[in-house]
Amino acid sequence: MGMRAYIIRRLLLLIPTIIGVTLLIFSVVQVLSPEQRAALYITSEQQADDIDEIIEKYHLRDPIYIQYFVWISQVLKGNLGFNQKSPRGQVLQNILNRAPATIELTVFAAPVIILTGIFFGVASAVHKDKLIDHVTRVTSIIGWSFPSFWLGILLLAIFYAALGWVGPGRLTADANVVVRSAQFTRYTGLNTIDGLLNGQLWITLDALKHLILPVVSLTVQSVALIVRVMRSSMLEALTKGYVVSARAKGLGQREVINKHARRNALIPVVTLAGMLSAGLLTGVVITETIFNIPGLGSYAAHMALPPPDIAGVLGFTLFTGVLFIIVNLIVDVAYAYIDPRIRLG
Amino acid sequence: MGITIIAFFTVIALLSQVFAPVPEGHEDPFRIPRFGWFSEPQPPSPEHLFGTAQWQYDIYYGCIWGTRTAFRIGIIVVAGNLLIGLVVGTLGGYYGGLIDELVMRITDIVWAFPGLLLAMAFVSVMGPSLDSIVLALILVGWPSYARVIRSEILRVKQEDYVEAAKAIGCSDLRVIFKHILINSIYPIVIMASLDTGAVVLSAAALSFLGLGPPPGYADWGQMISLSRGFIYKNPVDPLGYWFTWTYPGIFIFTFVLGWNLLGDAFRDILDPTLRRR
Amino acid sequence: MEKTMESRDLLNVKDLFVNFYTYAGVVEAIDGVNLLLKKGETLGLVGETGCGKSVTSLSILGLVPPPGTIEKGAILLNMGDKVINLLKQDDSALMKIRGKDVSMVFQDPRGALNPVYTVTQQVGEALLLHKREEMCKRLLQKLERDIPKSNTFRRFIYNCEKKIYERMINNPKSLPLRLLSRIPIINTYQRRLRNESKKEVIQLLKLMKIADPERVVDMYPHELSGGMAQRVVTAIALSCSPRLLLADEPTTNLDVTIQAQILLLIKELKEKMKSSILYVTHDLGVIAEICDRVAVMYAGNIVEVADTFTIFKKPSHPYTQDLLQAIPRPGKEFKSIRGEVPALIDPPKGCRYHPRCSKVMPICTQIKPEVAEIEKEHSVMCHLYKR
Repeated sequence: MGMRAYIIRRLLLLIPTIIGVTLLIFSVVQVLSPEQRAALYITSEQQADDIDEIIEKYHLRDPIYIQYFVWISQVLKGNLGFNQKSPRGQVLQNILNRAPATIELTVFAAPVIILTGIFFGVASAVHKDKLIDHVTRVTSIIGWSFPSFWLGILLLAIFYAALGWVGPGRLTADANVVVRSAQFTRYTGLNTIDGLLNGQLWITLDALKHLILPVVSLTVQSVALIVRVMRSSMLEALTKGYVVSARAKGLGQREVINKHARRNALIPVVTLAGMLSAGLLTGVVITETIFNIPGLGSYAAHMALPPPDIAGVLGFTLFTGVLFIIVNLIVDVAYAYIDPRIRLG
Repeated sequence: MGITIIAFFTVIALLSQVFAPVPEGHEDPFRIPRFGWFSEPQPPSPEHLFGTAQWQYDIYYGCIWGTRTAFRIGIIVVAGNLLIGLVVGTLGGYYGGLIDELVMRITDIVWAFPGLLLAMAFVSVMGPSLDSIVLALILVGWPSYARVIRSEILRVKQEDYVEAAKAIGCSDLRVIFKHILINSIYPIVIMASLDTGAVVLSAAALSFLGLGPPPGYADWGQMISLSRGFIYKNPVDPLGYWFTWTYPGIFIFTFVLGWNLLGDAFRDILDPTLRRR
Repeated sequence: MEKTMESRDLLNVKDLFVNFYTYAGVVEAIDGVNLLLKKGETLGLVGETGCGKSVTSLSILGLVPPPGTIEKGAILLNMGDKVINLLKQDDSALMKIRGKDVSMVFQDPRGALNPVYTVTQQVGEALLLHKREEMCKRLLQKLERDIPKSNTFRRFIYNCEKKIYERMINNPKSLPLRLLSRIPIINTYQRRLRNESKKEVIQLLKLMKIADPERVVDMYPHELSGGMAQRVVTAIALSCSPRLLLADEPTTNLDVTIQAQILLLIKELKEKMKSSILYVTHDLGVIAEICDRVAVMYAGNIVEVADTFTIFKKPSHPYTQDLLQAIPRPGKEFKSIRGEVPALIDPPKGCRYHPRCSKVMPICTQIKPEVAEIEKEHSVMCHLYKR
């Protein structure tokens, strides 16, 4: 069938799912009164005062199906409503403003998680029942049981309170001043990259230093699952016939592990990537809150706090929902790429 | 070993009254009693074994009664998930066809979301409290159960003894309960025990973020959120307030660990393919 | 010191003992096996499932899976200029021999192939491993011819490629080479090498009588039929023209018609490549088809060795006789062998066949019989025959 057809097929499936998601969110909102829902439609400060006008304009008292279409059309125009909590402003704008911090965090965390997970999973399987296997398994159960927020607090307690190495936030105070000044151009919003692009290496280093603890916190939460799946799929791959076959050709044990067994063992792990991104998204909410990183996660946490900022919460949910679906699509495509049986069978 | 831990906690939960007696005049045992109005937490002392948190809530009391809360949350949510998942999964798996398609689509849509985020949305709309957490987690968690149950049913449906039962003329319901479910139980048991731990973690996370019961309620997550401002005391005694976040955290950790170990033990016993003796 | 072998011999397995240390106990899988394989001959190793035939061939390659351990013995291989003991070689030396001097065809063809790699990649793997120098040299020759004919830019590229290939020949494990091969755009130099190996693979597949080899090379294992997969596995085994081919029940999992085709193929290849084959099977019919000599194995022992004709006409060991009688034939009475193959954790004392032997004598239950040569090239391990 080929990759192209497969991708097109998946893209088509995407549409009903997204529609379903919007329906879900929409129905959740219906619980609230029209006045509260008006927040979803206003775009500026002034409009916040004319609630009745808003209600009229967007048919908030009309039957549900009309409301749904009105809402969807607004969303597609980019109007996700207005935040009345700080930071005040359009929801979409706020989300986009906060996105870079989260992106930076996840971009650094994801490879760490994946590589660590694969490494320990493979090592654990290859050296089954030896020390490294036991250590890995014990650590991963402990890691899985740890409350993520508690870990963050502990890390802060040790490294910030007790040892004073690095504090919460993305940058130290002086670095922050520089970054916000006029001389510093924010190309991407990612402090690490912007530091390089502006020729201020120390800012990059500072940002990296501040990323260590949050990344560690995120890793511990998510790695356990990968290690476990990788280990069991690797154990299975090592019993397969092609391993002996490869050795009979004259390949060394290590080569066989890396080239043959691992590639096959990775297949089930790729399907995990979807779950991993879910875990990352939720982990980000907590980690950002604890470490005072002004990203999407802390935005969500803030908006959800009573009294909730409906537009914020819903905007965030919609945004992440769609994002998540797209990520899953990418994962499925990657899956088809690695395992030829999927795309051809 | 997991069983030991769980047993320990069960005892505490059941005997909360004994371990941490409710002071007189106090109506709701789940509200931690306050012993003063200072905002600064006090270190452990003979009266307050674990010390007091911000605004003088007794930590020891909170931890003990928090056990009950944790059990409540865990059991109710998992039960709710099981119930919905059972109904949905059975409908889809057993009847197949259009019903199955419909059911799977709904499952997929809910499943498409990262659970905690959807739960956050629910809770914020419903207004934060313990009940909304429980409700939200139920609404968010059932898809995985539904999927597992459905695939188990599909698998068992093809076995011969199901055909035989139908041939004798058993009613649908009877077939479902007596034959299919009994054989599909294993993965469900494993899932439920592992999930209880995860649910408690999620609930704690939600409470921590402020989306749960009000401050002063006996809930571990809530107590840790109270401690957030007290990570750092002063340069002389930086970890001075350690007791505010250590004790509840240990409770959460060991509780979840117990359930995880239990689930793992189940898995080792019940899944022979994983045995590599 | 290596014991001497005659120059006509290729493989000499001497007193091989292999044990498996399991949680249930020690399994004495191979109990003193002796085999002699001459150059150019096909020796059949026949026996029931579980008698240790596969373990024997795996031992030759040094690939007995844990918890199996080769306790003692020697496996002498005649490499032309010298004789080496395979059991005394370290792993790196063995890696050079595997696939090149000694190779194996497996029982389950689709299991032996890695599902995520194409046919070219898997057959080419063996080629590139052992014949890389040869191919590089050929490529260099081609480059030499092409350089004078091309313009300056091309010339520059070709000269670079030349240097790289020379490096490959002289110093294949050099660090810069390994780094280069990982950089995406630059490593297209490997493309030439890959094309070359692809051509060789197509040739091999043609040899295996696979129709339309150009299409097959890019297929994945799950797209191949059983017979085709087996041909591919055979192609891998024969890719480097091995001296010794170990065939471990290559046709057992195939349909009878395909089986016949593969056997025919093996017969032809035998002539062409002049390889010696150790053919392991439980099927006496196959033995009759292609083997020159036969070794009968039971419960870890070789009980009788003779040429094919003799085995069928004058079977001397009670087990061989019983085996032949157990083949269903129209007109003849069907007699199955009573009893079961023993579990080798606690094998029978003395001769391992004695519980099921129709000619058992008291001494059989106590002492293991010695091998007796009852006529030329015909030996039996049984108390009925004395030296």
